[in-house]
Amino acid sequence: MQRRTFLKSTVAGAAVAGFPLPLRAQPKTIKIAAIHCATGPLAEPGQACRLAAQIAADHVNAAGGIKSMGGAKLDLLIGDTQTKADVARAEAERLINAGAQMLMGTFNSGDTAAIVPVAQQRRVPFLVDISAADPITANVARAVKEGQQKVQYVYRNFPTGTLFGQRAVQYFTEIFKEAGVSPKRVVLMHCNDLFGTNQSKGFQAAHKAANPSWEIVEVIPWPEPPSDLSTEVSRAKAAKPDIIAPITRPASALLLLPELRKQRVESMGIVGPGSPGLYEAGQLTVLKDDLEHVMTSIPWPNFKHPRAQKLAEEYLRRSGGKMLDTNSGYSYDGIHVIADVLERAKSTEPDALVDALKKTSYKDTLMVSSGPVMFNEIGDNPNASPAMVQILKQKPVAVWPKEHALAKFVFPRPKA
Amino acid sequence: MVLLALPMVLSSYLVTVFVLIFFYAYLGQAWNIVGGYAGQLSAGHAAFVGVGAYTAAVLSLSAGLTPWIGMFVGGALSAMLGAVIGYLGFRFGLRGFYFVLLTVAVAEMCRIVTNNVEALGGAVGLYITFTGNPRHFQFQDTRAYYYVALGLMIAATVVAAAIERRRFGVYLSAIREDEGAAEAVGVPTLKYKMLAMIVSSFLTGVGGTFYAFYLFSLQPNTVFGIPLSVEIIIRPIVGGAGTLFGPIVGSFILSPLAELARFYFAASGNWAGVHLIVYGLLLVAVVLFFPQGAVPWFRRILARAH
Amino acid sequence: MAEGARTGQVRVPAPQGLILDPVLVAQALVSGLLFGGVYSLMAIGLTLIFGVMRVVNFAHGDLMVWAMYLAWLGATRFGVDPYAGFVIAAALLFVAGFVIQRQLVDRIVDAPHEMQILLMLGIALVLENGALVAFGPEPQRVRTPLTQAAVWLGPVFIDVGRLVTFVVAVALTLALSLFLYRSDAGRQMRAVADNGYGARVIGADVRRISALAFAVGAACVGAAGALVAPLLPFQPSTGLQLSVTSFNIVIIGGMGSLLGAFVGGLLVSVAESLGAVFLNPSMKELVSFSLLVVILLVRPAGLFGGRTV
Repeated sequence: MQRRTFLKSTVAGAAVAGFPLPLRAQPKTIKIAAIHCATGPLAEPGQACRLAAQIAADHVNAAGGIKSMGGAKLDLLIGDTQTKADVARAEAERLINAGAQMLMGTFNSGDTAAIVPVAQQRRVPFLVDISAADPITANVARAVKEGQQKVQYVYRNFPTGTLFGQRAVQYFTEIFKEAGVSPKRVVLMHCNDLFGTNQSKGFQAAHKAANPSWEIVEVIPWPEPPSDLSTEVSRAKAAKPDIIAPITRPASALLLLPELRKQRVESMGIVGPGSPGLYEAGQLTVLKDDLEHVMTSIPWPNFKHPRAQKLAEEYLRRSGGKMLDTNSGYSYDGIHVIADVLERAKSTEPDALVDALKKTSYKDTLMVSSGPVMFNEIGDNPNASPAMVQILKQKPVAVWPKEHALAKFVFPRPKA
Repeated sequence: MVLLALPMVLSSYLVTVFVLIFFYAYLGQAWNIVGGYAGQLSAGHAAFVGVGAYTAAVLSLSAGLTPWIGMFVGGALSAMLGAVIGYLGFRFGLRGFYFVLLTVAVAEMCRIVTNNVEALGGAVGLYITFTGNPRHFQFQDTRAYYYVALGLMIAATVVAAAIERRRFGVYLSAIREDEGAAEAVGVPTLKYKMLAMIVSSFLTGVGGTFYAFYLFSLQPNTVFGIPLSVEIIIRPIVGGAGTLFGPIVGSFILSPLAELARFYFAASGNWAGVHLIVYGLLLVAVVLFFPQGAVPWFRRILARAH
Repeated sequence: MAEGARTGQVRVPAPQGLILDPVLVAQALVSGLLFGGVYSLMAIGLTLIFGVMRVVNFAHGDLMVWAMYLAWLGATRFGVDPYAGFVIAAALLFVAGFVIQRQLVDRIVDAPHEMQILLMLGIALVLENGALVAFGPEPQRVRTPLTQAAVWLGPVFIDVGRLVTFVVAVALTLALSLFLYRSDAGRQMRAVADNGYGARVIGADVRRISALAFAVGAACVGAAGALVAPLLPFQPSTGLQLSVTSFNIVIIGGMGSLLGAFVGGLLVSVAESLGAVFLNPSMKELVSFSLLVVILLVRPAGLFGGRTV
């Protein structure tokens, strides 16, 4: 009831105010494509992104749609990349054909990169909600700078691999200091796939640049998904670690953490530079105590934000028991950023959209960040930031930085 | 001729679908030479796609070499790999399933090595900047890709036709039907199997370059992976292995099928994956009802109609 | 023990001074040997189907993943321990295997080789995505008390869960051997495997025997899946990887040979384990593939395969 009267009053008010109607009729709906990897090995996060995007679109529409365009509603067109680059490209083309004015996606950096040329060719702005590989935006920025392309249509609202690494090193050092301990030997273990390798490189590079008092004494990659990690863990143990720093995927985390305990690998704590597999509800159900006190530096919803809790509840309901986290959070935010861009652009012309994108300063983000959502000259959001999340009493809680922390961290790990 | 005019009328999405149809038909035709005509089943052709793709990409990224030349370097390297595999396999008398496994093993080994070598990008892979500049083998307009892919498919078919017509082709079908008998009659089986393998892998390597500069990102798991090898061999097998138009017909059947299946089911929340079930069921149906492939089936129908 | 550690340097994965660490090598050997039991189990079902029917079962891994999901269902919904419930999984897959062979594979017995591969691929696709629709994409793992247990022999630890699986692998290999060499049905199967035409001549019902062989093979896969479920995380897409590994083992050990599957499994697992110690662990699969290539070139029949290629 409230919504209808709100809309009515808006239209009436607009008529009374003599709001100049443009010569072209305002679109009733604006089609936005949400393309994610809903099937294939990355199906789980892909489906989470998709659901969050749908919820976000519903919220935007419930709040009145794009008011500057006469309350136009967002019509979400759904695509599935099947975690394959050629399919990703075909889906992008298909949905642009079906009328999508902007694209969002895809979670997997390889597929995202395949859509970039489509966005550039068809002049359709593409907001990357989740993908960490730096070249995705950097390449486009460079092409524009060198004059090979006229306009940049690809923007990313997610931390890049470089940023992940920098923050992780920063958090490691700060937490050690705050806890009053000085661990020296960090053993980095990572899954040898696109994401894991990207993170590992970012972390090591940031470590080299920052040169803190702790060392990465050993790097142990494993093929993802692994069937057996016993030898890798034996190697980690032989390196006498103070800290185990894992970069995992859900499948490998299910193997790694019990193995660490079985082989009695002693350490001050398990602190990850940022990866999935260490905080999801499904993982907690299977791993239980093995995850207790594990920390990982990941993009995280800011649960101090008034709307975050409500969103978490709705997401829990609509997903059949899943938790609002990194992926769903960023996809949700992504749609809202798109809505904000549309609101300021007041049109769906590509150039107007790009212009509005460049001027973005979206403060209502639900994710932990060090400032409003904005895009720098490469097209990335420099304020996108991870937070250190720790599993306390079987729940993931943000524990660092202090301004986003909902609890005090527990470090070093209490002896079992 | 219709094909030449199509891009003018079709939407960009359908043009993209055709690009994929032609491209996979091209790869299938390249495979057909050794897998269909010579009867040597290779399930690791993705290795050649990968070698070609990575070669051209690395040369372009580090040395600025234009992919128009890079593709031939990539093709040559793929051909060399093909020669090695062929020699190892044929010289040691590997037939049937054993040869299949050898090709799969080599593809997997390439994948693992590439995943771990920094210089090739490791597991992160290589990202090619989109410039839309034809000198970089990229085009601002998707329709240009259409013509390139069409050209590739036609070129491969011409090569296959040339082989079919010549003594080369006759020897290959003799080898396919009964290798022992062919040898007994004096056909130099090793030489011709090797030739088929080299031609096939060269063409596939060139295709790899197209792949790299069409999709702009290369990851070892995708480009050397078994799923890609499966996509390559499915089309000629469904269309009719060892026939000239088999790979083309197969591609025209399967690619639209995959698109349709995805179109109808992709958006359905929890039922993501249904479209692949449909794809699988269709494969089973094709195998049960058209085991020789589509082209021979058409031929039989046409023959009966006369 | 930590000779490989150097301070003030960014490490890139590389072999290092740990080669000299005898404890690590010993541990790798033990772990590899025990995990070999898992690999052996996986391979036994495949080699049987292979050996008797010359069918390249590309759906092997996906069948096994379904068995794992069945075990998981049993454990989470019905509280059935997988170490007891594997019999049920085996029975279910026995039926499934029989149906698949009779209704599908049998029809294309005379078709070109490639068609057979396509058929199993189609089935694999259906199985994998059926699992995705039915169970969702998250990786699962079955936890049982056994999976947590470890026994220590000095500095080297023995994973009890794997030890149990190893013992079961031995038992299953023995049981199957008895079946193949002492029972009528088994003898008939071997006859068909050796010489299908000849077997028909002496009156064996080849169709029924083939179906039986496929079913028994599938039952083995079922048992393997259930027994391995507590040890491996699995998701619908795990099937492909399992298939590739199993093919490796079967070729190395010898197609159609049970002993070959068993020894092959051990060999591949130990090779990978040692590879993880001396090389970059993410390259450990390279070791097993290299082994495969060597076997293919030197002795394609495999270590224990006596039949002609």
